Amino acid sequence: METYQFNFQAMGCPCELRLAATDRSLANEVAVICTSETQRFESKYSRYLTDSVTSRVNNASGLHPVTIDPEVAAILDYSGVCYVQSEGLFDITSGVLRQLWNKNMRRLPTDSELEFYLDKVGWKKIEISANEVFLPIKGMQLDFGGVVKEYVADVLAAKARSMGIEHGLINLGGDICIIGPQPDGTPWSIGITHPTEGNSAIAVIELSEGAVTTSGGYERYFDIDGLRYSHLINPETGWPVEGLLSASVAAPTSIVAGSLTSIALLKTPEDGLRFLEECATPYFAVDQQLGCHGNLGEVCHA
Amino acid sequence: MKVKLVTSLCVVCLLSLAACETVQPWERGTLAKPEMQLSEGLDSPLYHQVYDSKEASSGGSGAAGAGCGCN
Amino acid sequence: MAKPNPFLALSTAAMALPAFAAPQPVETIVAIKATTYQEEDVPQRDVLAGSDERYKIDIAQFRLLTPVGEKWSLGVDVAYETMSGASPWGTIMGADGEASLIMSGATIRDKRTEVSLTATHHGESRSISVDLASSDEDDYEARAVSISGEWEMNNKLSTLSLGMSYSSDDIEPTDALRFGRVQREEKISRSLSAGWAQVLNKNSVVHVGLDVTDHDGYLSDPYKLRDVRPDEKLEWALSLKYRRYFDNQNAALHLDYRYYNDDWGINSHTFHTGWHQNFGDNVRVVPNVRYYSQNEADFYRGTDDFGLATTINQSSDFRLSGYGAYTLGVKLIYSALQWDVSLSIDRYISDKSYGHDASDQSHPALLSFNMTSFGLNFRF
Repeated sequence: METYQFNFQAMGCPCELRLAATDRSLANEVAVICTSETQRFESKYSRYLTDSVTSRVNNASGLHPVTIDPEVAAILDYSGVCYVQSEGLFDITSGVLRQLWNKNMRRLPTDSELEFYLDKVGWKKIEISANEVFLPIKGMQLDFGGVVKEYVADVLAAKARSMGIEHGLINLGGDICIIGPQPDGTPWSIGITHPTEGNSAIAVIELSEGAVTTSGGYERYFDIDGLRYSHLINPETGWPVEGLLSASVAAPTSIVAGSLTSIALLKTPEDGLRFLEECATPYFAVDQQLGCHGNLGEVCHA
Repeated sequence: MKVKLVTSLCVVCLLSLAACETVQPWERGTLAKPEMQLSEGLDSPLYHQVYDSKEASSGGSGAAGAGCGCN
Repeated sequence: MAKPNPFLALSTAAMALPAFAAPQPVETIVAIKATTYQEEDVPQRDVLAGSDERYKIDIAQFRLLTPVGEKWSLGVDVAYETMSGASPWGTIMGADGEASLIMSGATIRDKRTEVSLTATHHGESRSISVDLASSDEDDYEARAVSISGEWEMNNKLSTLSLGMSYSSDDIEPTDALRFGRVQREEKISRSLSAGWAQVLNKNSVVHVGLDVTDHDGYLSDPYKLRDVRPDEKLEWALSLKYRRYFDNQNAALHLDYRYYNDDWGINSHTFHTGWHQNFGDNVRVVPNVRYYSQNEADFYRGTDDFGLATTINQSSDFRLSGYGAYTLGVKLIYSALQWDVSLSIDRYISDKSYGHDASDQSHPALLSFNMTSFGLNFRF
């Protein structure tokens, strides 16, 4: 049995499939199905594509409700649980604040600008029924970026398994979902990227099942007046968070692992670590001083 | 005597529940092994049939099946 | 009460997403088992009349379990037994002052066929099953129906199971007129069961169960010369099972205990322990020991008294006496990915002195038996 590797670009990140099969054509078939399934999700949920459900909902903000299917409804429900469990920090309507905090802005926003955008932020403001969603204020926007990519990793792993693949993994830009251990039964060695030295691993973990995701503020940051700001914004204050440098969580599913890392990074470093401890699932976190925390992982090169 | 026995069994059960840990799904491999199952295939009905017909006791497996002529 | 763990809350919410489909069996399993059971002959000196040969039973079992569609699975169990041998008709005081057996004469030859069909519907974390079973032999017919459910909770670390069943049995003893036996009698049994399985940590699991059964109708043994039992029996059993895996030894320990009690005055303890030792990936050896002990029924008599009125409950059936028994067994299993083969050998010995509350006299019909089983399982 050989392990075949397939690479492609989707959802704004490099994607990798590692599928072990005795027969190459099966691996190819699974890879084709996985890439097309990923594209289906991207077309459906990307806020950059005008035909996507997300864009249709966003464009109808302040105007009228949009019909949604059970998959979208389930993802919205899940996002709601994330909002509650993060005590309001994980909010899929907070994307509009990016208008104020991005690489092109050279100055801090004014209070009235913050007020203008904060008015359009708030999960509780969304009106959801069984098959419809309505954004009541014009300019409100949904962004599934923090949920869908991780979910797709789970979907692809389940698909591969249903087609007979028992050993392999899915890696969507650092969100990893294991299909099964390596063909010889040993776990996969997964490196967690060093927060500041992009090419090396700060820790290596071994997994045979489940998923591991890593969230980090280190890749998308920007500087204003000599100070560095994270791209993660607190939806209540409107300001970027000063949190952990990176967090990785291992959990049964990629979507849950992804939610936990996202939520951890939206909190202050102390609150973030406390949150990860409270979840009682293996995690690994790096703070602003490059100190390592957590019980996941074997090696730490700080 | 009977009441004490049942009570102590219940206490054991509750204590063991209190001692539970969360088990990650990737740690559940051991629990899925055949030697860790609560019953094994055709052994259950076989041994129950043999012992129920030779002893006064029955039950303890939660399984129901048609009886046999072993009054 | 502590705030719920965010991880658990999110995991539960994630289960509602389409990708995480309900778990139901994906494999088809076929199992067959052939067993031969042989009781040791009664010592000559204990037999006053009749044959000293005891039961020999050959049992063939077949099981098929297969998924049907996305949410259903079907199970079929068939068992076929042939038995021959003599059985005790009565116990009387012999000339030497010891209880002696009157055994049936020519050996009985009988066949029994049991078939059961189970249909199970699998939901996200619960399954419901309906089972129909039927058992037929020359003198006995039983029909049973049961319904049961299993609910998984606490992120699948706990499982609640509940079940109830109803069985209607008809007995038509052979040679009824010739021996003055009852000609046709009925018995109804109803039972309720509840169980809880709990994962304690990644290496151990515990199960607690409670079964309660009510029997109504003809409960006596029609083949005994003198056997009068109440027409109602209420029984309950509490069971505990523990499984623990030892990483260093690559082995698992099984500990089972059952306490039984009924309103005929019988209570019993059953202990069963086994050590499942793996050798490499394919071989498992399981030495195991069972200890059983019961006290005697209220109306048990060491010997039959034919002068006693037949309206009074009475029985000298050894199965209602106070005694204990040990079974020593070993099972050998060889497994491959899609099949496995097993061989088990058990030896059972019983004696009144092994029991926690023995009867005054040792019943001469207390038996010993040897049993050998050969099994094959296929998965595809």
